Amino acid sequence: MDFALTEDQELLRESTRALLAAECPTTLVRAHIDDVAAAAPLWVHLRSFSELGVGPTVDLCLFMEELGFVCAPSPFLASAVLAAAVLAAIGSDQLPSVLSGEQTATLALAGPEGSWVLNDGPFKSFVPDAASVDIVLAVASDGVVSRLEVPEVRRLEMIDPSRPLYDVRVDGVSTSLGVISSDALSRVVSRATVALAAEMVGTARRLFAMSLDYAKDRVQFGVPIGSFQAIQHKLADMSLDVERAWSAVYYAAMTIDADDPDRARAVHVAKAAAGEAAKRAAKDGIQIHGGIGYTWEHDLHLFMRRAFGAESLLGTTGWHHDRLADLLMSDG
Amino acid sequence: MHLAWGEAEETFRADLLAFLDGHAPAEARVRRDFAGNVRAGGDGSLIPQWARDWQATLFDHGWMIPGYPPELGGRNATPVQTLVYLEEMANLGIPRSVHFPGYAIVAPTLLDFGTPAQQSLAPAAIRGDTVWCIGMSEPNAGSDLAGLSTRAVLDGDNFVINGQKVWTSYAMDAQLCCCYVRTDPDAPKHKGISMLIVDMSTPGIEVRPLHHLTGGADFAEVFFTDVVVPRENLVGELHDGWRLTQGSLAHERAGLWVESVARLEQSIAGLIELASIMGVADDPVVRRRIGEASQRATSLRALGYKGFTSFAQGSSAPEHSYLKLASSELGKALFELGMEIQGPYGTVIDEERSPDAGRWVLGLFVSFANTIAGGSSEIQRNIIAQRVLGLPRS
Repeated sequence: MDFALTEDQELLRESTRALLAAECPTTLVRAHIDDVAAAAPLWVHLRSFSELGVGPTVDLCLFMEELGFVCAPSPFLASAVLAAAVLAAIGSDQLPSVLSGEQTATLALAGPEGSWVLNDGPFKSFVPDAASVDIVLAVASDGVVSRLEVPEVRRLEMIDPSRPLYDVRVDGVSTSLGVISSDALSRVVSRATVALAAEMVGTARRLFAMSLDYAKDRVQFGVPIGSFQAIQHKLADMSLDVERAWSAVYYAAMTIDADDPDRARAVHVAKAAAGEAAKRAAKDGIQIHGGIGYTWEHDLHLFMRRAFGAESLLGTTGWHHDRLADLLMSDG
Repeated sequence: MHLAWGEAEETFRADLLAFLDGHAPAEARVRRDFAGNVRAGGDGSLIPQWARDWQATLFDHGWMIPGYPPELGGRNATPVQTLVYLEEMANLGIPRSVHFPGYAIVAPTLLDFGTPAQQSLAPAAIRGDTVWCIGMSEPNAGSDLAGLSTRAVLDGDNFVINGQKVWTSYAMDAQLCCCYVRTDPDAPKHKGISMLIVDMSTPGIEVRPLHHLTGGADFAEVFFTDVVVPRENLVGELHDGWRLTQGSLAHERAGLWVESVARLEQSIAGLIELASIMGVADDPVVRRRIGEASQRATSLRALGYKGFTSFAQGSSAPEHSYLKLASSELGKALFELGMEIQGPYGTVIDEERSPDAGRWVLGLFVSFANTIAGGSSEIQRNIIAQRVLGLPRS
């Protein structure tokens, strides 16, 4: 198993990093809290990467990781990862406009209980960006994919305002676009799960980096607090979790790209490892920052919100651990 | 990024498996976990005859340390081939040796720093013909190894050693010892240490088996009273011994995690079996914790390969400390989970009444060796914080 990036992958990572450093400051993340339109200028840049949504999973993850690092408010997951993959699976003629970034889309799939599997409820929940995208796709229990003509949406107030989620009624007027098999749908969800895990690793990496910098700068008792073992050991554990989650995510991405038999297991491992890393980075990060980390003014909580929000989306850490047990203990 | 190794590595793997099929003795195929080691402890030699024969066979066929040339028990394997070797041996649970100091630490150190005469001791150390121990830890020099105080005074053509070592693995079986001694008590502590080769039959050496917390004894205390060692047994420069403590199989270090991770995976397979035996395989709490354990072992395996990638690219990978810390702590947690699954039988070590003769509780007890020896978990976190993350020393 070789984790070396190709030159093209290095370039993708570096150019994404440079772009987001310039175009997605935390001032934009804050402005988006009050007005989702504040993130529109960012999307002008991000939409040209939409083809990553149906390309190699490793490349997609490299991009998502950087989005997580800056807590980018954007419909990329909804449009390029979830909706585009469904449109590709059913061979829809709507696909090109979504891949070009000309139109945005999202996917209404999970029922109110939050499971991303086929179901026939009259309304779907946890639908990202449903109020701001051009196309809302809904999947019915028989796999029929339709476009909602006039989506009736209600914003679900979440701890993380950077990724607006919605309840969507799916029993209104809609146009059928095709049928997706449950196997194809599960592939879409698996890939999106790994992409989200990559994003979480990016967010965890940011929380960790902010905390490490702070520990080196902040002086108490006449010395940097990072010289205290209690702080050093927290940071060592945070970095361990980030490193192992990063490795688990790209292992899962490789198994998807190679259609390896271990892919189902690897996806659960990736999301759960990313969940543990992101939550630890958020909690220990705030603790290391002390009082300043508890303020609205400090940016740390933006990333903490994102970490917790992503952890609960597309299966919590515990849920993925349960699915791992199901795979391991099938005759239990 | 890609999952599979190349054709050359797969040919190498096939060659290894064919060799193991034809040569590995039945005793080498018995999976040993910590509890097994405990029960072997204390009754005579720690190195049974089959293990001596097996190590020699591996050496003679170039499968002892594949990265070395044939005269040192290898076949000039590439780093990736070495990883393949470690993977297969770990997955099959086949040990190449039951005493690590000679082949893993002493031989590479002698080859790197020794005189030609000292280097000529390496093949027998790797083949296991001579058993070595390493005199490092002392009662007052554990994590603070550089604080060691066993004293060697140069007197004409000889050093005279006085002092005490502890936690000396295989000292009871060893013919030779690589011993770290203080030769300059006035220099800063890292700069007054030297390494001497000591014949364990020299008058003045007393070896006392050190029984550890389970009652077994694979360590010893070694006492030195006016032990005379010829000056030519100095390895490297006088007072420059600290540098030698860093010596070990550098080209294998990037793959040594494989065995720890394979043991974790074997423990998880054991936990799944145990849950079924105890009738709790449907218990949602047990299932979630087994799923969590599996996630942690798998993510560690991925981290190991990531570290190997950096190593193969020539960068010094910090993953070694991460893997040591995480695998030893996870190992401990798995034994504790096994005890929890057993409920009231968690502490029963009665062979007739316990389904597995106390494997989990004994494993838990012995697993402290892994979170203490070779740099405790706390020291690993210090290393990560200071050397990897660049935090200031406290």
